[in-house]
Amino acid sequence: MNMRFGQPLLFAAGALLWIASAFGQQAFKPPTGPVPRTADGKPDLSGVWDRPYVPDMTKTAPNQNGLAELPFTEWGMNAWKSYHAEEGDYTGACLPFGLVRSINSPMPMQIVQNNKYISMNFEVDNWFQIVPIDGRKHRDQIPTWSGDSVGHWEGDTLVVDTLNFNGRTKLDTVGHPHSDQLHVIQRWNRTDLGHVAYEITIDDAKTYTHPWKNTRTFTLRPDWEIMEYSCEENNKSLWEGRIKVPKF
Amino acid sequence: MQKLATLLLGAVAAVAPALAHHSFAAEFDGNKPVKLAGTLTKLEWTNPHIWMYLDVKDETGNVVKWQCEGGPPNSLTRNGWSKDSIKSGDQITIEGWLAKDGSKTCNARSVKMPDGKAVFAGTSNNDYK
Repeated sequence: MNMRFGQPLLFAAGALLWIASAFGQQAFKPPTGPVPRTADGKPDLSGVWDRPYVPDMTKTAPNQNGLAELPFTEWGMNAWKSYHAEEGDYTGACLPFGLVRSINSPMPMQIVQNNKYISMNFEVDNWFQIVPIDGRKHRDQIPTWSGDSVGHWEGDTLVVDTLNFNGRTKLDTVGHPHSDQLHVIQRWNRTDLGHVAYEITIDDAKTYTHPWKNTRTFTLRPDWEIMEYSCEENNKSLWEGRIKVPKF
Repeated sequence: MQKLATLLLGAVAAVAPALAHHSFAAEFDGNKPVKLAGTLTKLEWTNPHIWMYLDVKDETGNVVKWQCEGGPPNSLTRNGWSKDSIKSGDQITIEGWLAKDGSKTCNARSVKMPDGKAVFAGTSNNDYK
């Protein structure tokens, strides 16, 4: 059965939610002020950040700019067309979201930063990524769900470079594919106290003919705290067979 | 502007539970809407989704037991809801979509009390604009 059977309704619903979200986000105003800095003078990205939920990286909506037409290779197009979540839904089955879907997720994240590491803590499934910013190179290790990240500063922009993915995740909820050749470049620029200008580049020559980007705006939520989120706690949908574990 | 905001908040109430961080279409059929009016017998305030259990009387008066999935408790909490927002014995109406597996399971698009007040939708904050 085609996973896109319910998509027109879902996208219509999504459009309404995104429009309503704009009003919701207008209702909250983050604190104003200059960019806070750490002792070594770098922008401090620490804080709890609200991000637009991006179930589809081709879409553009408040605080997010997608790329409408993805430059699929033949392999990529086959991977896109052959994905049917009802045959196996890895996030629904509590397997790791992976880096890109964690960033795309609707739940907040908290960044904790010192002069050696930036810790990105995602409420969704309570996953984290620790990004060293001490100048080290990528590690030589087995491929992982979220890849291997290292960060460096370009002026006041944090650049996070990630590769060595296991290829088992998708880029977004609707299932845009990637391979184990995925290379993700994130640019984090805290423009003022309350905002981050964010850019993510998807570079995967097996899946896409050239790199492509999304840009987003994240909003500081000093009134929020990250809460526990256990996918495993009461996953009736998985236990009762409505969600299936994918076969890799 | 206020009326437009109200309309759109209504839209949030109508559609918010359907947008999960994982695939809706894997489990539920967007072309099979359901409307269930019945008695809440249990609320599971759990991750990854809350679950509402409903006794619904069919045309012959027999009770049919339904279970409906709502949003994650964290998101609901940030919108002002809690595990005490509805209680066993409450008469509620759930509108949503039917599960694809043929069971009496739904994904809740909206949850309303008899007076039409929405529950678990948008925000419960009366000052929300």
